Amino acid sequence: MREPVPYLRLPGSRSRSLLKTTPFVGIAALCSLLIGCGQGTSTVARSDKPVSGGTLVYATDREPTCLDPHVAGDMPQVFIGQQYLDSLVSMDAEGRIGPWLAKSWEVSDDGLTYTFHLRNDVHFTDGTPFNAAAVKANLDHMANPKTQSSTAGGYIRQYRSTDVLDDDTAVVHLATPYAAFLEVLAQGFLGIESPTALQRPRDVNCESPVGSGPFKVVRWDRQSQVELVRNPDYNWAPPTAKHQGPAWLDRIVWKFIQEPSVRFASLQAGEVDVIEALPPESHEAARRNPDLQLIIAQRPGNPTNGTLNITRAPFDDLKVREAFVRSADIEGALKSVYFNEFPRAGGPLSPATRFYSPDFQHAQDYDPARAAQLLDQAGWTQRDSDGYRTKNGKRLQVHVVMGNRTPPSEFTLWEQVQATTRQAGFELIVEQMSDVQATKRQADWDYDIRLGYWNTNTADVLRIIFGSEFIRPAGVGGYHQNTAGFSDPSFDSLIQQALATQDAEQRRALYYKAQQIASSQYLQLTTYPQSTRLGIYKTTQGVRLETSLAVTYLYDAWVNK
Amino acid sequence: MTSASLSNDPSTNLSNPRRERLQQLGRRALWRLAGGVLVLWAVATLTFFALRLMPGDPVLAILGGPSGNPTAETIAEATREYGLDKPLPVQYALYLGRLVQGDLGVSYSQHLPVTRVLAEQSWPTLELTFSSLALAWLLVLALTVLTAGRRRWVGKVASLAETLSAALPHFWLGILLLAVFAFGLRLFPPAGSDGWRTLVLPSFALAIPLAGFIAQVTRESLDLTLDQPFILTARTRGLSDFKVRFKHALRHAVLPGISLSGWAIGALISGAVVTEVIFSRKGLGRQLFQAVQAQDLPLTIGISLVVAAGYVLANILVDLLYLWVDPRQQGSAS
Repeated sequence: MREPVPYLRLPGSRSRSLLKTTPFVGIAALCSLLIGCGQGTSTVARSDKPVSGGTLVYATDREPTCLDPHVAGDMPQVFIGQQYLDSLVSMDAEGRIGPWLAKSWEVSDDGLTYTFHLRNDVHFTDGTPFNAAAVKANLDHMANPKTQSSTAGGYIRQYRSTDVLDDDTAVVHLATPYAAFLEVLAQGFLGIESPTALQRPRDVNCESPVGSGPFKVVRWDRQSQVELVRNPDYNWAPPTAKHQGPAWLDRIVWKFIQEPSVRFASLQAGEVDVIEALPPESHEAARRNPDLQLIIAQRPGNPTNGTLNITRAPFDDLKVREAFVRSADIEGALKSVYFNEFPRAGGPLSPATRFYSPDFQHAQDYDPARAAQLLDQAGWTQRDSDGYRTKNGKRLQVHVVMGNRTPPSEFTLWEQVQATTRQAGFELIVEQMSDVQATKRQADWDYDIRLGYWNTNTADVLRIIFGSEFIRPAGVGGYHQNTAGFSDPSFDSLIQQALATQDAEQRRALYYKAQQIASSQYLQLTTYPQSTRLGIYKTTQGVRLETSLAVTYLYDAWVNK
Repeated sequence: MTSASLSNDPSTNLSNPRRERLQQLGRRALWRLAGGVLVLWAVATLTFFALRLMPGDPVLAILGGPSGNPTAETIAEATREYGLDKPLPVQYALYLGRLVQGDLGVSYSQHLPVTRVLAEQSWPTLELTFSSLALAWLLVLALTVLTAGRRRWVGKVASLAETLSAALPHFWLGILLLAVFAFGLRLFPPAGSDGWRTLVLPSFALAIPLAGFIAQVTRESLDLTLDQPFILTARTRGLSDFKVRFKHALRHAVLPGISLSGWAIGALISGAVVTEVIFSRKGLGRQLFQAVQAQDLPLTIGISLVVAAGYVLANILVDLLYLWVDPRQQGSAS
């Protein structure tokens, strides 16, 4: 799942967002300069022993449009979903799949049938028991076009049907082998909801979804907060959890504070206990503040990137693609734009993805000499009066199409790419437009570079972004997910083979080859992995990230206040 | 004979100036209301076509834009559900038909009926708008009535303060207020929309620049009024300076300020977009910003209509208030 970050923009201003203007960034600085706010107000000692009770106030940037993560499927939904939903299976820090609501499972030799043996002691917070019929209701719900599921539904395109063998046994049938099935099932996007609640209209379920998780949603006050309270019956935590039984916290207040500097200042002042999407410019201040603790984790999937359109000139030429990638000084840009807080991503997979190989980390390193050599070989030997390279009288031009929800820091990053690739002779033209227009340009293949990323916990993401089946648009007027336009039968075959085996070492070897092909084809200029960045006030402990998507998990958290 | 019995008599009715004045006001209000309905229709139509004629498919925006991975069946189903498969004129006719019946449709992005979003989000914005306007006038009166026509430098300093505050951007002021009064002195909460305490800082952020604007025009006309012969007459009757200023001069001097307030309602609502984001308040401004981004047609039109209706009503009120404050306007009104 990719996640557009909305930024408020002043009418008429180009790339400078209201939120990025200097007075905004400076609130923390201004604050400490004026009165030294939030310093030394209380002296609560951190206790290592969990305490039961209390309310945790969580502040995040974006409000979900629906609390049911099956519908649409944007990152803010899965962050809340993780607090009130359980999944069929769990995923540990190494990316291995473990039991959760399913105790065990068998996969048929042809990879088409998954038999899940379920726990029989679980019930949803509305009293409905969890059983095989619930599994069927959930998978059917995600696959139903009426649900409007972009993420969960998109991940289980192979799903055919579920047979309810008995209460504790569900048999799931797939159309084609899909070894990544268990991995995506571990994502909160595919969390299991009460089948009774799912029978209500979609928009009702959006507002008051029901799960079996450690908390339950009690109230959603739009544009303000969601309130969750402890599920006192909870006794089916995943093996990855640090304790069993009900959660420590009585209550969670999940607030929406859109403005990054206000969110951070609220944390410093102790007005909120945990903030999400800690702005990179505040990392240093947060580290120096003894009251605060940071959790920064990279998300698995395809890192933030500019994908090169190889279906038209000049990026139809591999040499030009490599030359472009090599002439962009991403390390330098990350240093100046993100204060070195974001590491470089060099390969098609984020290091947090299972089966990631570090071997391709340096294939994109800045190397202007090599770039110049490659461009000479590709025939772009002339320079015009402005210093850009030309071939047959045509200037070496590339267009990057950006929707206006692109964060301002990304614009700055690409301005730096523009400056460094210019030295190699590229004219990089940054075109900014409405998101809808940008989507249209994408559907029409009218771009050289499109920005994107994809958060998912499986290397199968390579199929979605580079597989030939994703070149075709989905539906009338739809757009393609394979933005590069890459089509290679041997790559497709590797990816399909990786889905046909459950053997981890075989999958690793196949995904290694797939990464090798994607990397050597220079289909993307990758920049940095997406990350989850939490700031935690001293009153709160035990906050962890659920590993499948690096999502906040408050089940093990407690507060001292 | 009392005035009540007098009004029952049709022959003397016309000669009753009070009733005539009321009738005139009523007619004027009716005309303005009819004009207002026309404005609302225009707003609905313009917004409809502006959003529909934008390149790109709203269904893709609903399903997450380039960030989603919906199946072809999901796209087809959503297109059908929102009636986007019908020709544009049919969509427009259907939309207007429902609008006339008071049905604003269901928001694509919020999964809620538009009327419910409006019901939940209008009050916080109205609250903010009114408290800002009231606060702005309080500041204006305090500043101008007490300083106009005083020694030269007093007026100069006050005038400079007004110009400066009129030029302050809302977001900058908002951040400053937050830093000092919410995070520094801890006097007010930094975020939220529950209770009067959360209203104070956002109201000041909106009121201070507005007060600067209104004070500038009010001061100018107050200065002129204080030079009028009738002020001199009042003073010679022995009225205190305070009474002269508040009872006599003010009534003349607030007129430009009042007509500016009609405009100010519009300015406050657009300022509310920024202010609601900074102070994490509920409200229409923030909602409108999100609705436009998501190409949420029903919600965008719904909010535009409410804002336009508020603007029309405010201007009618200002118009009537104008007549009430200054009876001289009666002649030109008829």
